[in-house]
Amino acid sequence: MMDREETRLRRSQFNLRDPQLQAYVQGIACRLGGEHCPDIRVYLVHTPQFNASMAPNGMMQVWTGLMLRVDNEAQLAAVLGHEIGHYMERHSLEQLRAAKTSSAFGQFLGVFGVVGLLGAAGLVAGMFAYSRDNERDADRIGATLMHKAGYDVAEAARVWANLTLEVNARPGGAGGPNPLFATHPGREEREGVLAEFAASYKGGVTNEAAWQEKTAPYLREWLADEVKRGQHEESIAFLTRATGRSLGKAEYLFARGEVQRLRAADGDLNAALKDLQAAAALGNEPPETHRSLGVIYRTTKHPDDARSSFERYLKLAPNAADAPMIKSYLEELSA
Amino acid sequence: MKILFSLVFAALLAGCANVATKKIAAGENMVGERLQVNIDGAWNQISTSGMGPAQVWTMEGLPVDQLRIYSGIKDGEVIHDTRNASQKSFNFRSTMQSDELVSMFEGMLTRDGSTFKLTKLEPSSFGGGKGVRFEYAIVTKEDNLPLSGVGFATVNNGELFAMLYNAPRLGFFPRHQARVEQIARSAKITATPVPAKN
Repeated sequence: MMDREETRLRRSQFNLRDPQLQAYVQGIACRLGGEHCPDIRVYLVHTPQFNASMAPNGMMQVWTGLMLRVDNEAQLAAVLGHEIGHYMERHSLEQLRAAKTSSAFGQFLGVFGVVGLLGAAGLVAGMFAYSRDNERDADRIGATLMHKAGYDVAEAARVWANLTLEVNARPGGAGGPNPLFATHPGREEREGVLAEFAASYKGGVTNEAAWQEKTAPYLREWLADEVKRGQHEESIAFLTRATGRSLGKAEYLFARGEVQRLRAADGDLNAALKDLQAAAALGNEPPETHRSLGVIYRTTKHPDDARSSFERYLKLAPNAADAPMIKSYLEELSA
Repeated sequence: MKILFSLVFAALLAGCANVATKKIAAGENMVGERLQVNIDGAWNQISTSGMGPAQVWTMEGLPVDQLRIYSGIKDGEVIHDTRNASQKSFNFRSTMQSDELVSMFEGMLTRDGSTFKLTKLEPSSFGGGKGVRFEYAIVTKEDNLPLSGVGFATVNNGELFAMLYNAPRLGFFPRHQARVEQIARSAKITATPVPAKN
C-alpha cells in the first residue's frame, strides 16, 4: 500500500522535480540517518504548509511550506531528525498495525487508497497521532542525530518557537486547527525540553548561508504560495521574522506588502505601501512590486505615481498574464 | 480515473443531506434576482445545503466540470461552500479591484491545496458593464488532475456578479468553453430584481 502511494507521489505534479535540491535535502536526511540512509527516500512536495512526514517504508515528504519557514539547514535537520526518530522507533509502523486491527483501518484505506496521500495530508497527520511518549522519544533521537551530524541542536527549539509565533498570531490564537500541532502536544514543554538538549549538546553548525543560497531560486514561488494561502496573520508573523534574513529582504517585504494589501483591514493599505516602497528601494524586487504599487496609487487617486508604477511593471514583465489589464489601466489613466 | 470520479462523487453525495439536480433548459434564465443569461443548450444545476452562494451548473457531472454563477453577492459575503470550517474563508468586498477579485477566486479554488496559475487577465464587459475576464490553470490536489478555467466578473452597485468554469484541460474544457463564453456574452444585469418564475 505504501509503495503504491510512493509511486503515486513520485508521479505527482506536486512532487518538486529538482534533482539538485532533492539531493541536497536527501544529503541532510542521510547525514542524520546514518546507517538508515539507504532506507530514506526524500520527496520535496509543493504544498505551502509547514510539514514533514516519514512513512513506515522510508518515504519522507518535505513540504515547501516547511522549507520556506526554516532559517537554516540545522532547523530543517531538527524536523527531519524528529521524523527519522519516529521511523527508527517504528512509531508509524505501530500506528499502521494498530489501525489494521481496528475500525480505523477503513479510514486508513480511505486516506491512502481513494483520495490519495497528498489529498488528505491533515488526515494522515491525524492518523499518525503519536503518543506524548512517542513524541518525546522522537525529540530525543532527533536531537542526538542532529548533534552527531554536527548541527547546532539549539536550532530545534527555535523551529518550534518560530512556529508558535505564527500560531499565536492567528485570530483564534493557539486554539486554531493545525494537523501538525494537533499531533504534537505540549509546545511549551517541547521548547523547554529541546532547550535542555541544546545545553547538553553544545556546538555545531547552522549552515544558514548554504540553505538560503540553495533555496533562493524558489523563494519567489514559495512566497507567492504563502500569500495565496490567505492566512494573513500567520503570514505577516512569518514574513516579519523573515525580513531579518540575510538574503531576499526585498522579496519578503513585497510578500508582506501583498498580504496587507489583500487583507485590506484598517491601516493595511498604508502599511502595504510602505513595504512595497521599501522593497522597490532595495532593488532586485519582484516586478509585481510595481504592479501592486500602481494598484494602490490608482485606488488612492495618485494618477502620476500609478502610471509610472504600471509602466515600470510592464517594462520588467512585458509578458505577464495580467499585462492586458494593466495596459487598460494605463489607457484609463491617460484619458 | 472514471472509478476515482465515481468514488469521490459518491463520497460527496454521502456527505450531503440532500442533493437536488435540476435541468436548466435552453433559452433565457434568471440566476438569482438580477442576472439574466441566455443559454443555447441544457445544463444541470446541482444544489445542496452548504454549497455557498453560487449556482453550480455542470454538463458532465460535478466531479468533471463546474460552472459557478454568482449573482448579487453582497459586501462581506463568503463566496464558497462553508462545509469545511477548518479551511480559510474568502469573502467579497465591494471595493475590490480586478486583481483582488481574481485573488479571491484563486484563494477559493486553492482552499483544498490545489495549485492555481493565472494565465490571462484582461478587461472585458460582463453583464452589460465593465468587468474582467481571466483564464487559469489548476492542478487538483486530490487527484493531480490538470484543469483549465475561465472566469468573468464585475461589481455592480456594490454587488458581485461572476461566472467561473473549470474542467479537465484535455477533452472537457475545450468541448464546453465556447458555450460558456456564449453564456458570459449573453449575461445581463438588471437594474431591479426580477421575480422568479414558478
